[in-house]
Amino acid sequence: MRLELRWSDVDELAAGSATRLVGRRLEVDLEALRALLSADSRLTGIRLDLVHPGERCRIGRVFDVVAPRAKLDGGEDFPGVLGGVAKAGHGRTLALGGVAVVATDQQTDSVGTLAVIDMAGPNAALSAFGATHNLVISAWPAPGTERSDYLAAVRLGALKTAVCLARTAREAEPDRVEVFALPPSPRVPPELVHLPRVAYVFQIHSHQRPTGLDEGILYGDPVRRMLPTIVHPNEVLDGAVLRGFMGRSVTTWATQNHPMIRALYAQHGRTLWFAGVVVTVAQATEPERVRSAFLAAGLVAHTLGADGAVFTKIGGGAPHVDMAQAAAQCEALGVKTTAVVEDMSTDGSAEGMLLFDFPGVDALVNVGSSQEPLTLPAMDRVVGADDLAPRLLGETRATYGTLCGAIEQVGATRVMAEVR
Amino acid sequence: MTTETLRVVCYLNQFFGQLGGEEKAGVEPQVIDGAVGAARAAQQALGDAGTVVATVICGDNYAAEQAERAVAEMVALVAAARPDLVVAGPAFLAGRYGVACGALCAAVQAELKIPAVTGMHAENPGVELYRRQVYIVPTGAEATRMLNEVKRLVALGLKLARREAIGAPAAEGYFARGVTRNVVAGVSAADRAIAMLLDKLAARPFASEVPRPAFPPVAAPRLVKTLEGATIALVTDGGLVPRGNPDGIEALNATRYGAYSIEGKAGLDAAQYDNPHRGYDTTWVKQDPHRLVPVDVARDLEQSGAIGKLHETVYSTVSVATTLAHSARMGAEIAEKLRAAGVDAVILTST
Repeated sequence: MRLELRWSDVDELAAGSATRLVGRRLEVDLEALRALLSADSRLTGIRLDLVHPGERCRIGRVFDVVAPRAKLDGGEDFPGVLGGVAKAGHGRTLALGGVAVVATDQQTDSVGTLAVIDMAGPNAALSAFGATHNLVISAWPAPGTERSDYLAAVRLGALKTAVCLARTAREAEPDRVEVFALPPSPRVPPELVHLPRVAYVFQIHSHQRPTGLDEGILYGDPVRRMLPTIVHPNEVLDGAVLRGFMGRSVTTWATQNHPMIRALYAQHGRTLWFAGVVVTVAQATEPERVRSAFLAAGLVAHTLGADGAVFTKIGGGAPHVDMAQAAAQCEALGVKTTAVVEDMSTDGSAEGMLLFDFPGVDALVNVGSSQEPLTLPAMDRVVGADDLAPRLLGETRATYGTLCGAIEQVGATRVMAEVR
Repeated sequence: MTTETLRVVCYLNQFFGQLGGEEKAGVEPQVIDGAVGAARAAQQALGDAGTVVATVICGDNYAAEQAERAVAEMVALVAAARPDLVVAGPAFLAGRYGVACGALCAAVQAELKIPAVTGMHAENPGVELYRRQVYIVPTGAEATRMLNEVKRLVALGLKLARREAIGAPAAEGYFARGVTRNVVAGVSAADRAIAMLLDKLAARPFASEVPRPAFPPVAAPRLVKTLEGATIALVTDGGLVPRGNPDGIEALNATRYGAYSIEGKAGLDAAQYDNPHRGYDTTWVKQDPHRLVPVDVARDLEQSGAIGKLHETVYSTVSVATTLAHSARMGAEIAEKLRAAGVDAVILTST
């Protein structure tokens, strides 16, 4: 399966009379975009803001971030959620670099679960979104809209916007074309059979909270009863997997630009053979967890024939253990593993970093502690969170987990917790 | 770079302070202007960067036998000298001295907000007691390479006094404090994970970024009675609380637990209970609390005589992102109460 990401880099984002790409300047007809998003009767009072790297601006109430992408010739955009259900991961997809769509959540009072993005100051460098031009969507729930419906509508609005922006590159000559082509797993050329076969086990959701009916995660499926299954890595890069509504320390943007899949592709045929991707969910009960762990390990060891597997998780403590149980099952089958964990300590002590101790699960990389305090410096402007502006304008105390993009559980970020 | 001259106070025991040997181990804290005894090595290591303005000396026995008083007296002597940095020891393998160095440094940091540093041998009991709070530089067992070791201690102390960033234990030379700190790595976690996996696959050495937890194994004791004669208690960390959560048990990172009477209850009425737990989907246990705390079945067993008696108090907390320290404390407190009430065995339901 072959996927082309045709990148057009954007240096400038501005309001304009039409939505179009002029060289590296992306102009957005905000009125037309607002009208497009207003068509969703679950949303009201839509506001669009443009913010730029280096600007002393803080985006508040961040719910998710989406990378602008659109299929160029056939195929569905974000299949099963925005577009119809159809296979993703092949053909040509338009991608805009240097620009992101930021969706905010204006409904919840429990803003502790939401995040901020700093466009300037020391925290801007910790997140990918401090360096992108961001189109920020603020929309309020129409009267009578349930929370899950509201979040589904907000996300759908962000996906529509992402497609609308990427389509401006339809006529453009891309700045670069990335090709992702992986042959069927068993077909290794004889001269490369010595390379270790490496699989990626991607936990795409955690069932610590039940998914809503409209909470499409895998091709629009809310993955309520999902068992481990194999997907082609290109499907993940091409919009088949979206973040659920409780995506702590993970964004849809990071999934679309999946760092682990990219890194495995980068090493494929050189130091390893990329054997494939197994998607799993963190289960809610012990029997489900055990079943899921050995099924995932079976796919890795027996179907993909992997020598090694790398794991990531999503969510908090239960997913952390769930991932480790699957890794332990792999080790038991002779598959070497590494896992990307978050520092789970809530008091900054090294003893509390890990919630498991399974034989063989001894090679761990971490994406930092989301609980560690962080200072948010004063800014000139707050976007996406008018109600919180008094607090978010001035210098305030927060944590790394509050800074969207600083900790990406799929391994995109460089923040890590070091034992001192 | 301009370096301002820092005011440094050294702390020594009676031996290194040249008051005498074991016969002087009972002397109370005293202060001498400038650098005396081993503090001269500190002054030499400081060079122009700082001045040892005072040396505080205390006998080992005095410090060990009335530790609280000794530390309070020494803190007062240190405060009077208005230092920018306190250098204690090094204590090498001397146990009483090492513990006193750690205690003084911890107190000076906490009460006077003045940075402090000490040094000692890995097996000095002061290391395990104080490494979490205090920067302790590893030294040999004996004072044979005093100046070299004091130099390392002073170098770290100067960084602390100047509020410079302190690097990793291996790089800076101090005992790991067991605390974690976010830093920015050279490459992404994804790249590091794949590099580590390739090392592991090739049987090359690799350095995990997370230490394996040192959960002490707790062996389950044997029930010495028959079940028919035993009193059984129900305990859960799954978050069962009476409606209104009267003990205010936290939704995560809990520090509290509740004791809830089930006296006279054949079962748990869902309308009377709630669940604040944020770590799992509580839909089903809210619908029927017996899915978490099986009072109904336990009462049946009590009625039929399969168990002697059901303990009339259920203990409950929320276990998600709970610190090991709070978990251990709450567990010990609950166990103590159960033992005092004559409970023989516990059914612990977790989620």
